[in-house]
Amino acid sequence: MIIRRLVSVPAVVLAASVLIFLLPRLTGVDTVRAVLRSRVAEAEPDPVVAARVAAELGLDRPLPEQFLRWFGHVLTGDLGLSYATRTPVAPQLASALGVSAVLTTLALVLAAAIGIPAGVHAARRRGGLVDRVVTVASVLGVAVPEFILAPVLVLLLAVAVPLLPALGWGSPAQAVLPALTLATFPAALAAQLTRAETADVLSRPHVVLARAKGLTDGVVLWRHAARLALTSVTSLSGLFFAGLLSGAVVVEVVFAVPGLGRLLYDAVIGQDLPVVQAGLLAVVLIAVLAALAAEVLQLALDPVARASVPR
Amino acid sequence: MHAPLRPLCTPLATVLAVLVLVAACGRGAGAASGTPVPDGELRIAAQFSPRSGYAIDTDDAFILTQLGATEALTSAAADGRVQPALAESWTQVDPLTWRFVLRSGVTFHDGTPLTPAAVVTALGHVAGVAAPPRALRGLGLTVVEDGANAVRITTARPDPILPQRMSSPNAAILASSAYTGGAPSVIGTGTGPMRLTAVEGTQRAVLERFDGYWGGRPALARVTATFVDDPAARALALRAGDVDIAQGLPESSLLEFSAGSGFDEQTIAAPRTVSLLMNQAAAPFSDVRIRQAVARAVDRTALAEQALAGSATPASELFGPAVAWGDRGPAPAPDVEGAKALLAQAGHGPDNPLHVRLWTYQNRPELPTLATAVQAMLRDVGIDAEIQIGDYGAQEPDLLAGRYDMFILSRSYLTDVPDAGATLRSDYTCDGSYNIAHHCSQAFDSLVAGLDTTTDVAARQEVFRAAARILVDGAVGVPLVHSLENGVSRNVTGYTVDPMAKRLVTPQLAITG
Repeated sequence: MIIRRLVSVPAVVLAASVLIFLLPRLTGVDTVRAVLRSRVAEAEPDPVVAARVAAELGLDRPLPEQFLRWFGHVLTGDLGLSYATRTPVAPQLASALGVSAVLTTLALVLAAAIGIPAGVHAARRRGGLVDRVVTVASVLGVAVPEFILAPVLVLLLAVAVPLLPALGWGSPAQAVLPALTLATFPAALAAQLTRAETADVLSRPHVVLARAKGLTDGVVLWRHAARLALTSVTSLSGLFFAGLLSGAVVVEVVFAVPGLGRLLYDAVIGQDLPVVQAGLLAVVLIAVLAALAAEVLQLALDPVARASVPR
Repeated sequence: MHAPLRPLCTPLATVLAVLVLVAACGRGAGAASGTPVPDGELRIAAQFSPRSGYAIDTDDAFILTQLGATEALTSAAADGRVQPALAESWTQVDPLTWRFVLRSGVTFHDGTPLTPAAVVTALGHVAGVAAPPRALRGLGLTVVEDGANAVRITTARPDPILPQRMSSPNAAILASSAYTGGAPSVIGTGTGPMRLTAVEGTQRAVLERFDGYWGGRPALARVTATFVDDPAARALALRAGDVDIAQGLPESSLLEFSAGSGFDEQTIAAPRTVSLLMNQAAAPFSDVRIRQAVARAVDRTALAEQALAGSATPASELFGPAVAWGDRGPAPAPDVEGAKALLAQAGHGPDNPLHVRLWTYQNRPELPTLATAVQAMLRDVGIDAEIQIGDYGAQEPDLLAGRYDMFILSRSYLTDVPDAGATLRSDYTCDGSYNIAHHCSQAFDSLVAGLDTTTDVAARQEVFRAAARILVDGAVGVPLVHSLENGVSRNVTGYTVDPMAKRLVTPQLAITG
């Protein structure tokens, strides 16, 4: 199954590449106008200047030729030059990806560290105080959007109690607030999912039997119940990773973090097609690989799923 | 000049602004002695991010001059008068040629001296790019050395404001080492009081003091500018003590930083006007009576003071109090009955109501607010305006082609050069390239054409005043409000908000203890 998935990766990436390449064209983006707007006053660019800029950018070529040239370069690792800065896209993307990878990993670790134990404990004491607190907190965590949560955290932890910097990137302290903001949604979801799965597993016959055999609560919980509950969370983590990596736009803009979200945001605002295309392609690739990794991890954790895999 | 505010910022700004107000009850600002700290470090939450990799031929050049990294041959005072900078004097040799004598003792950040050859290279580059910047475009600029300490700049047609044009951030002079290949490198190649040492994408720029600065030793040892697009996030950063200066804060946040709070809040008039443009190329606004009716229907004082809560000033004409030639009188009071009478003369009334489309864009958050208020005012005189809010980029082709009725536009009239001639020509002459109003008047064109041969600043300003009067008399759009620019600082001395976005870090700017 894994091999079949591996084989499908290039096909998915190719299909996504075609869509990504065509998307700006289909939405009627006038790249030349966007490039010129930062340079000249006239809203209606001089046709001669516009033609010269279009030729410089290779936009005067037929669309299939533009795609083949772009995709050919992508395959060799050449992501082209940014229209805005006229500098290579690859280093910009690499730098932004690095920042986002750190931020996303921190957020996921934080989410797992908070969400999974909270869910397990809530399931053990269903209806109790812990369960109710976890339930309310996780509903809030899922419901409150990042553009509200971010300033609330800044107000609490940077302004009211000046523990952490309000913005910037580079020091460990500067990573805390953006990571916490990003972690809230997956932590809440993980808590809900873990609680439901753990509760379900705890009532299954093999767990009841394990208890009957005299195993302690802790052993039963972590060896039998939580492990199975974790498989669902794990299967989501790949999607979370890809989603967070590309979707941290609000967080990266508010906290001035130079990650992929901010890069894409700036590129979309500036209609900087090479950066938009390279960024989206990276997101697709990461999503596909992360989903694959999650699947492998799930197989490792879940013996039932492993057994059902055709050999 | 700059890209409009990002749409994403609207919900963010609203929520953040409310929270900032709530937080105002919390921590207070620390007290400072007011004494400048030697070798201090200044942290700025800057309003506009670099969009083009600090390319000197783009709007990013404004960031470089604001941060004190680059300088041009001249600089401009707030009243439009041009001042010496890297050139200590200049003379007009003939209608097409100007001679600029370079300041002696100027050193680039890379240690090389300012020479005529360096000026020729720098200006030659920016004049020769595929899309030259606004201030220098279409001039046919050629620059040659003229002796050991001067350059001659020639234009293809007479240009009486060439010294003003040379104050443009795009005309900044970089060391020859910047032009060794590809796009000019702005790191360590300027002449300003601060040397740009590092840039981190669109997030941050770091500058160190340049000890060899010709204008004296700068007080600051280091400047860090963090580019924060969201205005309320800038306010939060200032409150949290992460930055010392925050540019362009939302009106609601400014309340928090008022006098006595430990912050220094400055608000000044900006050379930017929000106007209600009407398409004169087609009915109904080809009829001057209907345009005049609209002008009378609108209560500009209410727009500025109520709709925008005092974050702008009411406009009586195109030019406002930000410039020497701008009108400082009160905005005309609304005249609902007069407006109705004019509409009746034009054949519109209760039996034949006027339906129009009122367009604006959300990139600047105040515009939809103004559109709603204007809609209500027009309704009072019997005009039914249907609001359509879109993306400016998508609207622009229709606007320029005359496929619209009314449009609310925010426009800076001194984008690059401290002279309004370019805006008058592009926006209101018959063949103007940005003539959204589709205004065409031979009298107006003749008046503006006179600027081609008028060198005297006072005489030019008289032309600007006369042009603004013609626009008012012909109801060529309704200037609604003039924008304000603000900046807030804490424990900083020597900071003044520059509405032209050219000056921020100066040798005198310092942190106080």
